[in-house]
Amino acid sequence: MTFQEIILSLHQFWKSQDCILTQPYDTEKGAGTFNPSTFLRAIGPEPWRAAYIEPCRRPTDGRYGENPNRLQHYFQYQVVLKPAPADSQDLYLQSLAHLGLDSYQHDIQFLQDDWESPTLGAWGLGWEVRLDGMEITQFTYFQEVGSLEMNPVTVELTYGLERIAMYLQGVDTVYDLQWTESVLYGELYHESEVQWSIYNFEAADVTLLQTSFDRFEQEGLQLLEHPRGLVLPAYDYCMKCSHFFNILDARGAISVAQRTGYIGRVRNLARKCAQAYYEQREHMGFPLLARKAPTSGQKLRKKL
Amino acid sequence: MASQNKTPTKTKNISSRKSKVTSLPLLLEIGTEEIPTKFLPQALQDLADLGTQLFRECRLNYDQIRTVGTSRRLALLVEGVQSRQSSLTQEVVGPPKAAGFDASGAPTKAAQGFAKSQGVLVEQLTIKETPKGLYLAVERREKGESAKKVLMASLPGLLAKLNFPKAMRWNASQIKFARPIRWLVALLGVHTIKMEFAGLTSDEMTQGHRFCQIKGKKKGQPVRLTNAASYVATMKKHGVLVDPNERWVIIEQQMQDLTKSAKGKVDPVHRAELIEEAVYGVEYPHAIIGKFSNEFLALPKPVLISSMKEHQGFLSVLGKDGELLPKFIAVTNTPWGNTKLMTKGNERVLAARLKDAQHFFQEDKKQTLHDRVPALDGVIFHHKLGTMRQKVERVQDLAEWMAGQLGRDDLKSACQRAGLLSKADLTTGMVGEFPNLQGVMGEEYARHDGEPEEICKAIGEHYLPRFPDDQLPVSLPGNLVACADRCDSIVSFFAAGMAPSGSEDPLGLRRAAYGVVRIITENSLELNIVASVKKALDILDGQGRSVRGKTQNPLDVVAFILDRLRFYGRNTMGLPEDVMEAVTRVRPEHTADVGDLLLRMRALQGILSHQDFETLMLGFKRAHRIVEKEAWRQTAVIPEHFQHESEKRLSRVLTKAQQEVTDCVTVKDYAGALQNLLPFKAPIDDFFAAVLVNDSDPHIRENRLSLLTAIDHLFLTIADFSCIQSVGVDVARG
Repeated sequence: MTFQEIILSLHQFWKSQDCILTQPYDTEKGAGTFNPSTFLRAIGPEPWRAAYIEPCRRPTDGRYGENPNRLQHYFQYQVVLKPAPADSQDLYLQSLAHLGLDSYQHDIQFLQDDWESPTLGAWGLGWEVRLDGMEITQFTYFQEVGSLEMNPVTVELTYGLERIAMYLQGVDTVYDLQWTESVLYGELYHESEVQWSIYNFEAADVTLLQTSFDRFEQEGLQLLEHPRGLVLPAYDYCMKCSHFFNILDARGAISVAQRTGYIGRVRNLARKCAQAYYEQREHMGFPLLARKAPTSGQKLRKKL
Repeated sequence: MASQNKTPTKTKNISSRKSKVTSLPLLLEIGTEEIPTKFLPQALQDLADLGTQLFRECRLNYDQIRTVGTSRRLALLVEGVQSRQSSLTQEVVGPPKAAGFDASGAPTKAAQGFAKSQGVLVEQLTIKETPKGLYLAVERREKGESAKKVLMASLPGLLAKLNFPKAMRWNASQIKFARPIRWLVALLGVHTIKMEFAGLTSDEMTQGHRFCQIKGKKKGQPVRLTNAASYVATMKKHGVLVDPNERWVIIEQQMQDLTKSAKGKVDPVHRAELIEEAVYGVEYPHAIIGKFSNEFLALPKPVLISSMKEHQGFLSVLGKDGELLPKFIAVTNTPWGNTKLMTKGNERVLAARLKDAQHFFQEDKKQTLHDRVPALDGVIFHHKLGTMRQKVERVQDLAEWMAGQLGRDDLKSACQRAGLLSKADLTTGMVGEFPNLQGVMGEEYARHDGEPEEICKAIGEHYLPRFPDDQLPVSLPGNLVACADRCDSIVSFFAAGMAPSGSEDPLGLRRAAYGVVRIITENSLELNIVASVKKALDILDGQGRSVRGKTQNPLDVVAFILDRLRFYGRNTMGLPEDVMEAVTRVRPEHTADVGDLLLRMRALQGILSHQDFETLMLGFKRAHRIVEKEAWRQTAVIPEHFQHESEKRLSRVLTKAQQEVTDCVTVKDYAGALQNLLPFKAPIDDFFAAVLVNDSDPHIRENRLSLLTAIDHLFLTIADFSCIQSVGVDVARG
């Protein structure tokens, strides 16, 4: 199964589970959790089921294209289900079967994982799912997001696409993955890994990043004060702050003492966005509550 | 056999049915998504305790209670539950008889009301004699409810009481549990007990092992349980060994088979810990053995073991010679899977990790530890206490000073050097990946840098002891840097106002103090702890880092360390509390030497059983009370003022003892010193029998007070005997 077929297969499966196939969000971010489809939609009582692929940037994980598994840019497949269905784990295992993974042949274990994102003021409990000892998915029941208690609880499934693909294709380096039958992952992304590693670790202009961080933060806070309540643009600036912090971190420009300060500033903005988003949705009468209740996933699947 | 037994069994059943109280097994199964393995042993214990409590409170008799479970289920199994509660006879007392009946003996409204409230007729009321007079009463016999009914009402309460170190919500019920509860089974014999909890209703449906496959048939889930009695057996048929002990035995057996064919044995160091993790992580264990490339054997052994253990939970395998073999054991959760595939998968994961470790090892060695020291500026020790670099500078100076204190000026430079490099490995990639290898990697890299062996050793040893029973440093510089590091941490956090309170010890300061006590006593370092603490504070002040208030007392820190000394004495030597208190209560200059304190404690404990000691204590305490009460300080006696032979004798005994006790104390022969106090017994008793201290002549009175004070001071050079509890004497007196 090629890399793109894996994505298609997951799309197909989660579409059959009444998920909206939302798209990656066009702002740099470190994880699919930052996408408003997860971070903002998890807030409040409105039901939400979405699946999407998310390109993620983790500047510190860059290895100049030399490490077989570590990348500063990679893909997550993200599924969010609110309220968390009682058969979340079964659905997840079915999605693996859909990828052609025979669970009966392998050792699949759910290992304790307490997830926390200090920048997003979010935490949850769940597992890392291991396939024959390899972590392939993060499975989390959100308890708090933007420091708001989740009610109902959202469950988040984050598939590490490259790892799953490496397993399915039986290759030892990510660059040897077949994106299509004729094009390799390396052909698409190796050069990008090299250039971005150099940028993140060596070339990025620290002053530009620092000033930008400050101004993005200001902009975000300011937008929240706007009479029209510009929560969504404000949250974009929160994501930008988080990403610029990550580059500064990779660049070695943040001392340990400053670190907590930066994280606290992003969290503060995230918390304010979350609070404002909730109030705004409430003011709008939580529109998605009125959405016709989805038929259960099982029934839909039979219709297919 | 079966047919022979048939008849009597049948008869028995009939007879028990006649009595209407039968006994049945109870099963309560809480089906969950995977609960963290480390929560399970405690959760199973708690469930058993709560079950026992529930049965007691519900007046339900039973034969045996136990719990079993896996990461996906917690089960309470109770054998021989009586089908009915035992009945309860209760007497309810109502209004006084006088108020219940009027002069004609007719029942008043009060009596009628009471009878009505109790659901009986007035005629059924009885009269009860109480200390306050005659009262109306009613005897109520509460008939036992059926066990089924009682359990239905009370089991949800039991579930609500199960607590976990970290819990979550998952559905509208807002109930918190370690992970979501997905099903509930409650069976009494063959009968389902319907109850509701966390948005679920119990029934007889459970889930088998997720991937159970027998004879090519996918057994999977769900499974109907028909009888509580056959729970364990039914689950086994569906791929779940519910009893942790059974899983433990199987893992042991499988490991033995696997290592035997590999001509090795499982590394004993983390064995039990890793097996326990596996036991509670799986429903049906299946151990597999995998291998890794020989090239990785060039990595330091702790790195290999950590790579296997920390991330993967693998057990390492040792060859006959005790060396690591390039093999590992993993415990999977399925005996039905494809062993070859699973082994290959696990091998690949480990290979990637070892490749990473190899990369770190090579990269780290490109920079010497010495060159890494400036990078400690970027590592925070604690936000109130500055960086690790500053800590290291303090440790260097303190360790050097300590070497001087022991008269080992020759070790001063080694202590400086080892202190300087002690934390440099924190900036290496390997320690970043495996924080538990701090010190171990420092030693390894120091050797690679060509540092002298005693420096390498000291770097590795200064983290010892890492836990209460851990080994201690061997080299003297290792001991000194270890003590200096710990003293600095304790003093720094105290100075920053973060002394531990209550039973919490988030900064590990109690552990640090315990380490200091063990190093000083077991390795016989003659370190003065009062001076060490003061020195540590001075060094902290010298850095301008101290946030010490003017009133901060170094003796608070000393008291904190002495508290750990008492803990140590109690745990390892069985020293009684009063003996330790007596020794540590004496003047501060005596508390400086921890080893000396222990010698005193042991000597004191030794003499407690002497037949004369308790009566001597009686006399001493009497003298001590008088001295305290009068707050007398003078000790010079004037022989001409003695009136009675008993005073003169006591004074002679004192003069002799003063010399002998001092001699003994000088050479730390505390047992000898205490022996020299015993001759006081008779003279003190005679003294108190013959004279009154409070004589009308002030000269005589003052002279007697001074004599007693001199005795008191002599005793206090060894311990504060007033702390000793004289149980035996008290009893005799009574």
